[in-house]
Amino acid sequence: MSAALSPVTIEVVRNGLYAIAEEMSVIVMRSARSPLLKEAGDLSSALTDAQGRLIAQGRDIPIHMGVMGFTVKEFLKRVPAETLRDGDVWFLNLPEVGGNHLPDVKAVRPDFFEGRLVAYAIKLAHWADIGGALPASNVPWATECYQEGLRIAPIRLFSKDGPERHALDFVLSNLRGRDEREGDIFAQFAANDVAGRRLHELFAHYGAQTVAACFERLHDESEEQMRAALRALPDGAWEGEDFLDDDGVEDRRIRVKVRVEKRGDEATFDFTGTDAQALGPVNTTYYIACSGVYYAMKALVAPEAPPNEGCYRPLRVVVPPGTVLSADPDRPVVGGNHETSQRVVDAIIKALAQVIPDRVQAGGPTTAGLLILGARMADGRWAVYYEVHGGGEGATVGKDGASAIRVHMSNVMNTPVEVVESEYPLMVEELALRPGSGGDGRHRGGLGFRRAYRVLGPDVTLTTMIERRIVPPYGLFGGKDAAPFRITLNPGTPRERDIRGKETMKLAQGDLVLIETCGGGGYGDPSERPAALRKADRREGYVA
Amino acid sequence: MAEGVRIGVDVGGTFTDVVAWDPAGRMESCKVPTTPANPAEGVLNGIAALAPRTGPWATLAHGTTMVTNAIVEHRGAPVGFITTRGFRDVLEIGRMSRLHLYRLDLPTKAEPLVPRRLRREVTERVAPDGTVLTRLHLEEIGSIVEDFKREGIESVAVCLLHAYAAPAHEQALRLALEGHFPHVSVSSAINAEFREYERSCTTVLNASVMPLAARYLDDLSRRTGGKPLHLLHSAGGMMSVEAAKARPLSMAMSGPAGGVAAAAHTARSLGLARALAFDMGGTTTDVCLIADGVPETAGQRKLGDYPARLPMIAVESIGAGGGSIARVEATGALKVGPRSAGAVPGPASYGQGGTEPTVSDANLLLGYLNPERVYGGSIRLDTARAESVIAPVAARFGLTLIEAAHGVVEVANANMLRALRLVSVQRGYDLREFSLIAYGGAGPLHAGALALQAGISSVIVPAHSGAFSALGCLVSPLRYDTVQTHRGRLDAWDAKVVEERFRALEAQCLRPLLDEGHDPARMLVLRSLDFRYVGQNYELEVGWVPGGPAVLKAAFEARHRQLYGYATGENVECVNLRVTARAVEEPLSLPAPPAGTSAVSTGSHRAYFKETGAVDMARYDRTSLPPGSAVAGPAMVEDEWSTTVVYPGQRCVADRLGNLVIEVGGRT
Repeated sequence: MSAALSPVTIEVVRNGLYAIAEEMSVIVMRSARSPLLKEAGDLSSALTDAQGRLIAQGRDIPIHMGVMGFTVKEFLKRVPAETLRDGDVWFLNLPEVGGNHLPDVKAVRPDFFEGRLVAYAIKLAHWADIGGALPASNVPWATECYQEGLRIAPIRLFSKDGPERHALDFVLSNLRGRDEREGDIFAQFAANDVAGRRLHELFAHYGAQTVAACFERLHDESEEQMRAALRALPDGAWEGEDFLDDDGVEDRRIRVKVRVEKRGDEATFDFTGTDAQALGPVNTTYYIACSGVYYAMKALVAPEAPPNEGCYRPLRVVVPPGTVLSADPDRPVVGGNHETSQRVVDAIIKALAQVIPDRVQAGGPTTAGLLILGARMADGRWAVYYEVHGGGEGATVGKDGASAIRVHMSNVMNTPVEVVESEYPLMVEELALRPGSGGDGRHRGGLGFRRAYRVLGPDVTLTTMIERRIVPPYGLFGGKDAAPFRITLNPGTPRERDIRGKETMKLAQGDLVLIETCGGGGYGDPSERPAALRKADRREGYVA
Repeated sequence: MAEGVRIGVDVGGTFTDVVAWDPAGRMESCKVPTTPANPAEGVLNGIAALAPRTGPWATLAHGTTMVTNAIVEHRGAPVGFITTRGFRDVLEIGRMSRLHLYRLDLPTKAEPLVPRRLRREVTERVAPDGTVLTRLHLEEIGSIVEDFKREGIESVAVCLLHAYAAPAHEQALRLALEGHFPHVSVSSAINAEFREYERSCTTVLNASVMPLAARYLDDLSRRTGGKPLHLLHSAGGMMSVEAAKARPLSMAMSGPAGGVAAAAHTARSLGLARALAFDMGGTTTDVCLIADGVPETAGQRKLGDYPARLPMIAVESIGAGGGSIARVEATGALKVGPRSAGAVPGPASYGQGGTEPTVSDANLLLGYLNPERVYGGSIRLDTARAESVIAPVAARFGLTLIEAAHGVVEVANANMLRALRLVSVQRGYDLREFSLIAYGGAGPLHAGALALQAGISSVIVPAHSGAFSALGCLVSPLRYDTVQTHRGRLDAWDAKVVEERFRALEAQCLRPLLDEGHDPARMLVLRSLDFRYVGQNYELEVGWVPGGPAVLKAAFEARHRQLYGYATGENVECVNLRVTARAVEEPLSLPAPPAGTSAVSTGSHRAYFKETGAVDMARYDRTSLPPGSAVAGPAMVEDEWSTTVVYPGQRCVADRLGNLVIEVGGRT
């Protein structure tokens, strides 16, 4: 390769790599079975170099940003590279092996060119069920990870000769809905297979040396972008903390604390002072703490930097052992993935609000807002309805928060009412904004919403995994806190009762479950809100 | 269709193209400025300009970007929205996802299409199977009508839950509302598909363009004396004025559909089984798959930030064109587009104030544009200006000017290659089987290089490419589409019910054709179904095959395997039934443009190719090429509208129909 031509080659190879990661995501999104993979679903695609260093990611949710950067490296500690063969696809979900929680299963495919291992394709997808104590594998009362489902240490499910039937059968025998899961597995395999073919074309076109040189350049470019963004901030150290409502087992708040220290073009995120690991399933891994850090820094200071290993080199993440962010491998983790990760982001935002007030956003629905309604059908199968609920976005210096939206670490869509009613023994009686739920301020927080489910069949189980029900989304700089989540069984009847944020319960036919989701926090002193905006809020009925 | 002169019109943003064709096979065309305040003026001006050469005309077929522009520029009429009690905020809640993952400074979601005070509710409820759970309380609309009138609403949209399964409540509301408002759109008539947010948006978008479309079409009909008038819709077929007024949203992709329809005609006339329409303009490039002469369609796309569900040609559009601006990022990366110099100021070499390097400037330095020619009537390309804007790019990387120009073109081509692969390779097709049909200002210039990179074996630069979209209106059949949600698993398939529903849909599609007096024997009716494995959330459209559920399942699995690389044998469910009806007509025989007797070079200039370095490149006037004789690359073939570059190692032949056919050969 002529050194002079490198900017063009780099650009073309970069384009090629992103196209591959994107194509992987599309295949799984469109063809997988899990309701969580729909649309901008709960999945991620990535390519790494031969050392397992992340080089490109596809259309993703930010929760997986840090995780994907570690999966292959940790996998290689268990399965030495020299034992891998062309055509292999390995599956794993162990949180301690570059992971997060059991339902997020990673498929890893080593890719060879001219006999040498040159790259890996990884496809992460959230399976709707991974076994364990409850359908959908979300066990709010779990105190051990073994209650949460099948723990898959790296296992080869495909080789160049096709599926490894015995291994596949072993996995499928340990979870609910084996047909659907087989569909998920094949979708992940197909995505990796396509990635392998496309990578091979890329290497054949440009040569292994050129592509490898491009990989290095991509790391260096992203690193430089992140360093430049850090240089633009003043040096200093700032602390922030945020709290989980509870862990589902013990009724107490759990602190996530961070000290951000920025010097020159590097920053350290030290989580010393974070509470000890929990009994219940809000624990998580170092990789998820990294995801929270990476997301926050990308969103707050370097939104244009392509996410890869280079991008994260200037960021150091310190987590002392035994905290809720570094729990022992036998602790339950299912909610830590999408709940505790958001606490990490909130703590960093509160710390950095002190230095970049113009770039932060007030608190919002930093929770999956998850309701799982499982119905045992006449034929014995489970119809499991898994729904995430967003809320009002926090306000910023420049604008009011949007209503009914997902924020920060996740971006999974809702299920249309007409789909819910066609596929589950449920009727949705209301889907409406929740006036007055946004925190007041110079800019107002967005509104949460109300969604009411009537149970039409017998034998339905409800499971919740929701934060921001007790600790409300925070306002900033004088802006007010927002209304927190509230979940009510049979509102306005003698049988009315509050439902907790991490609970599992039997429902009776005719029961109504009303979820009112949180608003977003306000930004700035409410007395500075322009009269015209207050008038518009009243005219459109956005305030109570 | 009536005998006599047929007129095809494409109303674009800047120019209105008019083509006239008579049954003797003669063709005339002209370009006149578009008249944005009332586009009918431009249409009539164009027709009048042609009249001395063509005589009186008989029919008019028309494509327009009016509807798209109104939606993208938020110029639609304000709409009043009525829905089931409890659900007026569906339009604002949407699908709950945000537009940008990492941008806290940008708007998180699109503004609701209708402000909250204009979203109203009526008491009624229907179950997914169509059972009425709560009767429609029609008496509630009195105050809604009053409020809407006070707000000056002319157009009302109605979308009730599960109306695709039971339209009676919507029909009753329509009847009641039509007495008060000139325009009413109800979801079961616009898009009888499940998923309430998408159906609501589609219905509201339609309502918002109804007043504008009606005013325009009424005016045009009046001023053309009631002669037969048809509109090009998004799926690449023609429809009646009545259909266009009732469902103007179907014209949303009318603009690009014209070119794609003409490209499909070219593919049919040459018998090409697999072709890609490649329309490269100044700001964007549109590509579309054409299989067996039929453009691929999709059932949903985004207009602005809103979902619209109507059959539309599956065009993939990317922000790369001749005017795309090259820039060097702080990290040293070379990027091209999506920002464009557009028509104003245009590329630097146009000498109209452009100061940033564009793809066209790079093409000029490489000799891929004729430095001696006058473009667009008055523009003489200025090489010195092109050099002055490419020079900083070259200096930044320590390259020569020519190397830098190659770099800019190569990055632009890589962007376009990604779009070509998206509509072909990523849908399970092998690019080697394709021909590239290149048009638009810059298409024929880039096509040869792209084809070589993509492994495509031939490029067609079609005849009449100057007024290609207008021509597309002439060669498109009358065609009506409909869709109806029908949920049912193949393992419990009720063939009788499905047959009944299909027949009802067919009757619905055929009615407008019969109303226009078409012969029932000369109509083609096609059925298809949207299938998925139980548990999937995306559907695949599969053509109807007789023989029962097992045969349908096999067809679905074959398509699934083609698209996603696997099939599992699991249970399959149907989600939607679709029907298309179109009039079958004799293919229009287009005249071959004038041809010469021998290819005579009109001159030559310096050009630079990676494979050969600097060479003398001969230029040819396209009209001088006799059918069958070949020009060997490197060469440039010019006509009034476009510049075709024949790259080294390629051969270009003019065929009997006036198309240029480039054999690409070489490496893949």
